[in-house]
Amino acid sequence: MGDGGLSMLGQFLFAGLAIGSVYALVALGFVMIFRATNVVNFSQGEFAMLGAYAMVTLWQGAKLDYFAAMALALLIMAAFGLLFELTIYYPLRNRSFLPVIIATIGASIMFQNGALAVFGPSPEKLRPVVDTAGGTGGINLGGVFFDYQYLVILLVTVVLIGLQYLFFEYTLLGKKMQATSQDKDMASLLGIPVGIMIALTFIYSSVLGGLSGMLVAPIFFVTHKMGATLGLKAFAATICGGFGDPRGAILGGLLLGVIESLGAAYISVIYKDAFSFLVLIIFLLVRPQGMFGEKVSEKA
Amino acid sequence: MSATDAQAPSRMRFRPGYLALALGAVVVAVLPLLFTTRYSTNLLILGAAMSIGTLGLVVVLGYAGQISLAQAAFYGIGAYAVALGTTRWDINWWLALLLGLIAATVAGAVLGMATLKLGGHYLAMVTICFQVIFTLVLTNWVAVTGGPDGISNIKRPPFFIPLNSAQRYAWFALAALLLVGALVWWLRDTVLGRSMRAVRENEIAAEALGVNTPRVKVIAFTLSAVIGALGGAIYASGYLYISPDTFNFDHAVAFFAMVLVGGTESVLGAILGASLLTFLPEWLRELKKIYLVIYGCVIILVIVFMPEGLWGYAKLLGRRFARVVPLPAALRPVQVGGRGAPGEEILRVEKLTKRFGGLVAVDEVDLVVRRGEAHALIGPNGSGKTTCINLLSGLYVPTSGRIRFLNQDIGGQRPSRIAVSGMARSFQNLRLFRELSVWENVLVGAHRGGGHEAETRTRALAAIEFVGLSDKAHEISRSLPYGHQKLVELARAIAGEPELLLLDEPGAGLNQTEKQELVRLLKRLNEMGLTILIVEHDMSLVSKVASVATVLNFGEKIAEGTVDEVLRHPAVVEAYLGNREVALGV
Amino acid sequence: MFEVRDVHVAYGAVTALRGISLEVREKEIVCLLGANGAGKSTTLRTVSGLLHPLKGEVLLDGKPIHGLSAVTIARRGISHVPEGRRVFPGLTVRENLVLGTSNRPNVRREEMEADMARMFKLFPDLGRLKSVLGWTLSGGQQQMLAIARGLMARPQILLMDEPSLGLAPILVQEVFRVIKEINTSGTTILLVEQNASMALAISHRGYVMETGRIVLQGTAQELLQNPQVRDAYLGGGKDA
Repeated sequence: MGDGGLSMLGQFLFAGLAIGSVYALVALGFVMIFRATNVVNFSQGEFAMLGAYAMVTLWQGAKLDYFAAMALALLIMAAFGLLFELTIYYPLRNRSFLPVIIATIGASIMFQNGALAVFGPSPEKLRPVVDTAGGTGGINLGGVFFDYQYLVILLVTVVLIGLQYLFFEYTLLGKKMQATSQDKDMASLLGIPVGIMIALTFIYSSVLGGLSGMLVAPIFFVTHKMGATLGLKAFAATICGGFGDPRGAILGGLLLGVIESLGAAYISVIYKDAFSFLVLIIFLLVRPQGMFGEKVSEKA
Repeated sequence: MSATDAQAPSRMRFRPGYLALALGAVVVAVLPLLFTTRYSTNLLILGAAMSIGTLGLVVVLGYAGQISLAQAAFYGIGAYAVALGTTRWDINWWLALLLGLIAATVAGAVLGMATLKLGGHYLAMVTICFQVIFTLVLTNWVAVTGGPDGISNIKRPPFFIPLNSAQRYAWFALAALLLVGALVWWLRDTVLGRSMRAVRENEIAAEALGVNTPRVKVIAFTLSAVIGALGGAIYASGYLYISPDTFNFDHAVAFFAMVLVGGTESVLGAILGASLLTFLPEWLRELKKIYLVIYGCVIILVIVFMPEGLWGYAKLLGRRFARVVPLPAALRPVQVGGRGAPGEEILRVEKLTKRFGGLVAVDEVDLVVRRGEAHALIGPNGSGKTTCINLLSGLYVPTSGRIRFLNQDIGGQRPSRIAVSGMARSFQNLRLFRELSVWENVLVGAHRGGGHEAETRTRALAAIEFVGLSDKAHEISRSLPYGHQKLVELARAIAGEPELLLLDEPGAGLNQTEKQELVRLLKRLNEMGLTILIVEHDMSLVSKVASVATVLNFGEKIAEGTVDEVLRHPAVVEAYLGNREVALGV
Repeated sequence: MFEVRDVHVAYGAVTALRGISLEVREKEIVCLLGANGAGKSTTLRTVSGLLHPLKGEVLLDGKPIHGLSAVTIARRGISHVPEGRRVFPGLTVRENLVLGTSNRPNVRREEMEADMARMFKLFPDLGRLKSVLGWTLSGGQQQMLAIARGLMARPQILLMDEPSLGLAPILVQEVFRVIKEINTSGTTILLVEQNASMALAISHRGYVMETGRIVLQGTAQELLQNPQVRDAYLGGGKDA
């Protein structure tokens, strides 16, 4: 591979990492809910889609300032997370996993097609965070073009993960939320308001999802379907990373993003979407516990 | 579950079935006449095809309890098989159908096997992956599938009369639906069908009764795939044009919604759900835009408020009016114990050890159980008794040591295999098939004996009569009082006519009267020749039932002998009550 | 101080408690004995609010608490150390202890540190293990942590469920020594135990349960000498 080939590789790696970060963010929101409530939220991808549409409505429709729109959209996602918890999680909190999965699948369909009905089928475009005249801007380094939006995504992901780490490691509230997800009953015996902890988890996951949607929207189009593939890939990422482990979600997301990018570049662009699923299938057959997980088995 | 199901002569059982079949034939004959326009007849064909596809989910989800979100993929395999067959490859429709069904069989089996070690959301995920990859291939492998443009000019199947009009094809489609519906309905009360439902209700209990759960699951997936493919084939030749859009994840979810709305376990419910969700968007034109939103909403509402679906409601009402038909008398009393000389060793355990990480739960335990014995295994909380039972019955694999049952090494064997060789057990925390009736629970237990359906029923009848629950046989087991539920588990365990019965705290949760009855039943079983190994905390129960006792503490055997000897043994007293001197020194 | 009056509790179809009445007075250690399955743990879980009775009442200082949630009851000063230790596996010893103060909002830093210092004095082993994750501790260490965590709540009443379960005999002695010390410092304790000798050795009074009912009660002295206690575990001759 000549110098051109190396910088091409760098390009694909960078793009893969950036998209992988988006997967990681969605996956993280997913894992948070799972750890706190043992619920597998099949509509997590739709949180991203809804966040993107909220942004589009506020910025394009209401013509708000870009960053004001973002802040407001995140607030809307927070409220949405709470609503989701109250209407979908809460009524089913004592039922077995099957009804809950099915309900979140139902929610996913409802959100997707609700968005279709409200916003119509034509894709929307969102302006990237760093707005340069004439489209996407970026930095050129060593033959690799570092798109600003991709850089923003990576930056936000790193900062967010850092903040999250600090929150869970160093604040009392973070500890209480961890305790709730490790042993709900014991937490309530200590006087920890478990209901509030769970609500906060859903709110956080919703905001996380919405944020990832807003960040990825300028790269692709905003459509009612965008959450579907995002969600599935995020789910695949958490399984590959180790179900229920936040580190696994992040690493799994990055891994899938890179594999997808490289696969699309060097093998086949048509089947780009299939790569993630192939990786998933391999993991499921060979190492279902993922990279960080414990053995997956039914308790006797 | 029809109240007339248990009438002993099997030919009588099909009477209500034959009536339903005749009724169905009438509906099939009449229905297409009611749809006068081409458009509405096409809708009827669509409804029939979707109903068939949904019936596949009744088998895998309703009966076997496995989530499959890949049904649209199997539907698509059938559709593309006949489409390609009658256009590109120019072969007979029926041959093309056969090829499609074979492909679906393979795909279903592969999917089933891939999911064996997984459950719950992992399982759902694999089926979704399969579905998504299938759609991707359909859309992108243009050379073979025609890509997004799809395939047109599909031909109709050659038949006794040419199916050249929509109405005639509608008859064909409905007849196919009737056939599949009847088969799926019949499947429910066969050994396979009951085994599937047992696996759904409680996989571990099913294993312990001799059901080969992996095989049952793979068969369920395979059947759902084949049925789905048939539905797709019917659809393809009905509409004469197919494209990949129809076989994507959204439609897999639609099938799911249909089976949920109708009631997952019911044939009529599935047809109802499929029809409803097919016709509704057509009838409510304005809603066509948001009908998928309504799907999603409906799924959630059904799950929260009506988990049994529409048919479940109907059943609930029906139950109020159903006459309770009593079970016939058993043809013979229950037989247990097998053939063999009393006193011979049937179970020999040598240096049995089980470690969980750093914890040694069972520590080099030796145990011998002789034919005809009632042998107690006692010890304080946490001493390893239940772990021993789980090791013997195959739920756990020993870390080291030997278990010989009827002169065969069984350490590490599947529980179902051990059960089939003659060992039965009950569970400390009751593992009934909760949504099944008493009769069905015990029937599953009786499968182990093999033979004809009639013999299985005879064994089940005998077991139910033995525990005295004949008049409650058709009640749903979870609605019974606790004491009766324990009797159901006992009847289920002995219905297979085992040689050794392991009981894990059979007295837990029972009141005095119930315990007395339990003692009476166990003593009678023992007298009839059944060897019993019983784990119990209630010493008075133990002393009445058992002749020999082995005592464990911290996973080790600390005493053995007659029950009286053992209860007076100082080490045993100390194990239970603590050491008095040590205590006084605190 | 608190009283259980004619409480009936069921788990679905199973009736676990059939009319239990007992009382615990201030500064007492009262033990609840009986064979496995007698309903001892169920009783504790009903008091701490994880279960709600079908009939009967639970009164704290005369006021009914049986309808309240576990979180509320914890805030009223009842600390439940459940069976199986249940330390938070992914949190350190220190973090587990800090969470023990969750029943009181706005605990000042100094107070918390002072309480923790006291815990480390009571359980010197824990002091060494401050930053160790819960799941890596041994059974005995986990038990100590669970008790210390329960104490961090500065409870009026401490409910302890089988603290000696699965522990080696020498650790059992240690645990009971600590329980006695806690009581001497002023905490009221309701102790559920299978190890009757140990429990009675440190208790003031005791109740013996069998299949959901209380069949014996009395002072610890009385029960220690009563042969019926032994029968409750090793062979009830009276129920024919």
